[in-house]
Amino acid sequence: MERAEARPQVVLPLRTPRRRPSRRNLLIAGALLAPAAVLSLGLIAYAIGLEAWFSVSDAGPGTNGTFVGLANFQYLAGLDTFWQTVENTGIYSGASTAVKLALGLGMALALARPFPGRRLVYALLFLPFIFPVVLGTIAWFFLLSNVNGGLDWLLIRAHLMAQPFEWTGRLPMVSVVAVNVWHGTALFAVLLLAALRSIPRDLMDAAAVDGAGRLRRFVHIVVPFLRPAALLAVVLSLLGNFGDYAIVELLTRGGPLGRSQVVSTFAFENALISGYIGVGAAVALVMVPVYVAALAVAYRLLGRE
Amino acid sequence: MRPAGVAARWALLAPMVLLSAAPIAWMAIAALRPGDQPLAAGSPWWPDQPTLANVVGLFGDPQFSRWVSNTALVTAGTLLIGLVTSLLAGYALAYLDVPYSRSLVLVFFATYLLPQAVLFIPLLRMVSRLHLLNSPAALVLTYPSMVIPFGTWVVWSFFRRLPPDLVDSARADGAGVYATIVHVLLPVVWPALATVGLYAVAVVLNDYLYTTTFIQEPSGQTITGALGALITADIDNPGRSFAAALLAAAPLAVVCAFFADAFARGLSTGIIEQ
Repeated sequence: MERAEARPQVVLPLRTPRRRPSRRNLLIAGALLAPAAVLSLGLIAYAIGLEAWFSVSDAGPGTNGTFVGLANFQYLAGLDTFWQTVENTGIYSGASTAVKLALGLGMALALARPFPGRRLVYALLFLPFIFPVVLGTIAWFFLLSNVNGGLDWLLIRAHLMAQPFEWTGRLPMVSVVAVNVWHGTALFAVLLLAALRSIPRDLMDAAAVDGAGRLRRFVHIVVPFLRPAALLAVVLSLLGNFGDYAIVELLTRGGPLGRSQVVSTFAFENALISGYIGVGAAVALVMVPVYVAALAVAYRLLGRE
Repeated sequence: MRPAGVAARWALLAPMVLLSAAPIAWMAIAALRPGDQPLAAGSPWWPDQPTLANVVGLFGDPQFSRWVSNTALVTAGTLLIGLVTSLLAGYALAYLDVPYSRSLVLVFFATYLLPQAVLFIPLLRMVSRLHLLNSPAALVLTYPSMVIPFGTWVVWSFFRRLPPDLVDSARADGAGVYATIVHVLLPVVWPALATVGLYAVAVVLNDYLYTTTFIQEPSGQTITGALGALITADIDNPGRSFAAALLAAAPLAVVCAFFADAFARGLSTGIIEQ
């Protein structure tokens, strides 16, 4: 500490100059960091290590198994249901994210300026996001049910349909995407709204004075301001949806016949229902490349500022 | 704004509001359904004799109180562990000149993005080795691993935006680590802690994977895990489950009503204005 004061100050006083920490300070820092590091990084590192072992072993319930090389991955590579699962997960994640981005952008633009009733509208739009996703999916399960389901009843009453339609059975992917969009659009809107608010008014006014129309102002001012927020929301959503479990498990159980099976439900089924822990671990590890790619994008985004 | 703009805004917002609220309204209305009146009787959207019996009945139901107390326990444990450890770690990374502190923050951030579905299989093995199967303690052990990375990162980025003199002058006055955290930083850092706290509550109430993986006996289950398992049992009249779901969601809704703005601000400053 004392050494730092002796050094000539060339840095702007906004930031404290980097000091060489004393041994005592390092000890304190270590003690303060340890609980967080052990309970999150430590636990996760342990779990990933064990997962990696499982994926190259024939582990079963209660046993750690023996080394089997890449047998689990080879087995999966030859399995049609596995490839369908990967495809479903990509579609689920991509379609949900695209729709949420479009609706979230509309929501943010519509909410950007004050208007009568805005607070109430905002609260109602935010409701699905704060409503626990498990409970929201339960509501949707009964809404979409072909046995006394709320949606069928309305559509039949409106003479749009003659008899009940099996939404989750006939359109399983559309159903799970719909629930995901219902739950997650508000988060996109919140993030985009915050970015919209960061646009200086003067900039928009100056552009208007210079004769830039609504469209030009949108393309040249609003879009560049929204891009980082939008990109980050997209990355977070793609990644989050790739490992999603609750919506699919509760709404369709991955069915019918695997048509809405996603990586997490497939891993669960293999490891915990069939007892092939090695195969389940190999399935779960499929998420890692996607995770690494998303991480690279997120880091570039954060690093640029 | 021009009338066309107003019309366009409501043309967009009205259906969105309707679709957002409808499933929850449907849940609330079906919760008013008498126990002997299945969905098939009359309109599924409106019961013939609405009653609060389902809601009232829950308060005397030992199973429901069990799930509520499990959830409260898990939430309290996750909150306590998550907040304290994130605050300490965020402080150390922001103020104690830890070597490679920026890289460490990035590691925490990377961990925050890791999907929980990657880890549930080995974590189940760990939980069973520790003899925590079917115990809410399994969740108190594992949920903080999802909260701490986000929490440390939010607290750190909050500290980084504070004027540095705040801590420098406290130190110059001879304040130690404890005094600096408790008397100087705690009074200003609460918006960041509120964000982390809300996130922690959301982690607990949104999880279905860990709770159903680690806890297979209903007596140890949290409310969300238990209600998810009831979905097919209640197919004829979900009124009781719906009432329970709404009661479970109510605390989060109330908290959010108060903190939604702080949460949104914390989240967006954490993410965007990095």
